[in-house]
Amino acid sequence: MRRPRSELFGMAFETLRRNPGRSLLTLLGLAIGVGAFIAMVSFGEGARRAVMDQFKALGTHLVRVRGTSRGGQERKPLTDADAVALQRDSTTIGRVIRVARVMFETTHAGRQWWAPVHGVDPDFTALHLWDTSLGGMFDERDLDRRSKVCVLGQTVVRELFGDASADPLGESVTVSGLLTCRVIGVLSAKGTSTSGNDIDDIVLIPVTTFSAYFGLPQGYNQLEIGPAQPEWIEAAKEEAQTIMHRSHGLGMGEADDFQVDSPTEVLRAVDRTATILARLLQGIAAVSLFVGGVGIMNIQLVSVTERTAEIGIRSAIGASPRQILSQFLVEGALLSLLGATFGIMLGVGVSVTVARYMGWQRITSFGDVAVAAAFGIGVGLVFGFLPARRAALLDPIEALRRQ
Amino acid sequence: MTGDVIRAEGLWKIYEEGDTPLPVLRGVDLHIGSGEIVALRGPSGSGKSTLLNILGCLDRPTRGRYWLGGKDVSKLDTTAQAWVRLHYIGFIFQTFHLIAHSTALENVALPLHYAGVPRPRAHETARALLDRVGLSHRLDHRPNQLSGGQRQRVAVARSLALKPRLMLADEPTGALDTRTGQEILALLLELQKEVRMTLVLVTHDPSVASVAHRQIHMRDGCIVTDAGSDAPAA
Repeated sequence: MRRPRSELFGMAFETLRRNPGRSLLTLLGLAIGVGAFIAMVSFGEGARRAVMDQFKALGTHLVRVRGTSRGGQERKPLTDADAVALQRDSTTIGRVIRVARVMFETTHAGRQWWAPVHGVDPDFTALHLWDTSLGGMFDERDLDRRSKVCVLGQTVVRELFGDASADPLGESVTVSGLLTCRVIGVLSAKGTSTSGNDIDDIVLIPVTTFSAYFGLPQGYNQLEIGPAQPEWIEAAKEEAQTIMHRSHGLGMGEADDFQVDSPTEVLRAVDRTATILARLLQGIAAVSLFVGGVGIMNIQLVSVTERTAEIGIRSAIGASPRQILSQFLVEGALLSLLGATFGIMLGVGVSVTVARYMGWQRITSFGDVAVAAAFGIGVGLVFGFLPARRAALLDPIEALRRQ
Repeated sequence: MTGDVIRAEGLWKIYEEGDTPLPVLRGVDLHIGSGEIVALRGPSGSGKSTLLNILGCLDRPTRGRYWLGGKDVSKLDTTAQAWVRLHYIGFIFQTFHLIAHSTALENVALPLHYAGVPRPRAHETARALLDRVGLSHRLDHRPNQLSGGQRQRVAVARSLALKPRLMLADEPTGALDTRTGQEILALLLELQKEVRMTLVLVTHDPSVASVAHRQIHMRDGCIVTDAGSDAPAA
């Protein structure tokens, strides 16, 4: 009773071939839908990863210890002893960076600029994944010798040397009229932080030089801790808490006079936000996929109307409603199959191009493509069903009358 | 000949035109034996097309019963009706009703496809049938490349594809010139004898009607005269 399947497919293909322009337009709708879906999923994922990378570059992979005042008391300064204890007593902490920070006036050849001057350990740039675009960072020897050297952020270079691309290496910069140091490096540009601060507005000098010239009346502003392994960040945070508690001579249950922050919560929130945005993009793409499906339904409805007489003939000579249904369903399926195929090529092509242009890694997963294709073909079938059913339910007498 | 191919009792067809029922058939009784040739005649609106649609399982009577080859087919569902049309009945129409974009061969093979005959065998059968109606040189022509007479020959070949017991012809010569009409009629009669099927013709043309064993006249949804022997002449 049933028509062999190859016959159905051959017939459907023949029908689509007879109307190449219309078939192409129809499947273009679905192709764009599927393509947009793949591209949007890829963009969303790529953008999410890019945002996460940027956040990590801002120092979200480190733990910060800050001093804090406790119940109106004078706050306890962060000292070298704390830094040493953290380094010595821990198993999960990789490095501890001392950071002293004060806004100072910097001058060079008559130009002046107020900048946050940081006295730091040499590993500061490594911990912040911060490269130098010119020269290099000071090292342990500079630390021991209290060398009068500095590394400048791009904003400071622009303000003191007139142009961010100027080469200030070997020039001297005076800090607060007191310390004249030689420029040995320029940091690469980082832009603006999430809170709107200009990250490139910074001057780095060895922390020992800082304390020698400016003193440390309040101790260090903060101690920055990098975990020995990236995934140990929470463990490092807890360990830092314990060590600091002991190092500050606090008893059991006594409140901390310091604060330990890890950015994992922030990172998680950012990840969640980026994921929501990615889902939003996918939602929009799903709408275009839906519209593509409506396109198929539209064309198939037109096709059924146009071929009413033909359907009447087929029905009169004995085609069952099911056979007529199959004929139109297969046509719809073939359209959506071709559409999905073109869509995959389109979507993957666009994703790869954009990823290359944006400098993202390859982000189109096989799973995403499979989901888009399945979704596309599903939409085509669902929307192809209505016209097919209409064809199958046509009354042959009525249909034959319409020539 | 044994048994009736068509046995219809008290067929009514009533259309609902708004609130007023419009009876088109009013209690038609009909028996047609195997191998008979019957001409169905009457003015337009007399109900002969409706009767032909019911006899051809394209429509169902509102009331009454209809046995085709001894089986009650008056209450079949759409799918079962389609099955009966495919396997028991051949149709020939005034305007041929061929599928415009298919070749003569494909048109004739179509019922065979629907019956599940594999493509090579369907095409072989279709080729033989087209050869029988004298169109072996036109297999790959589409309907618009064929003359009216040739198109009706294709339709005849198609109607014979599954060896129907009943052939229904609705004005088979109505769209053809006299000579071509005569040829088609002669072909139909030849084939009717060969296949020993029952042939019901709806026609206005007395010369076409004259070839029938029996002449049934209809008016206002009733059979008014039924002339001719119940047995086929040959």
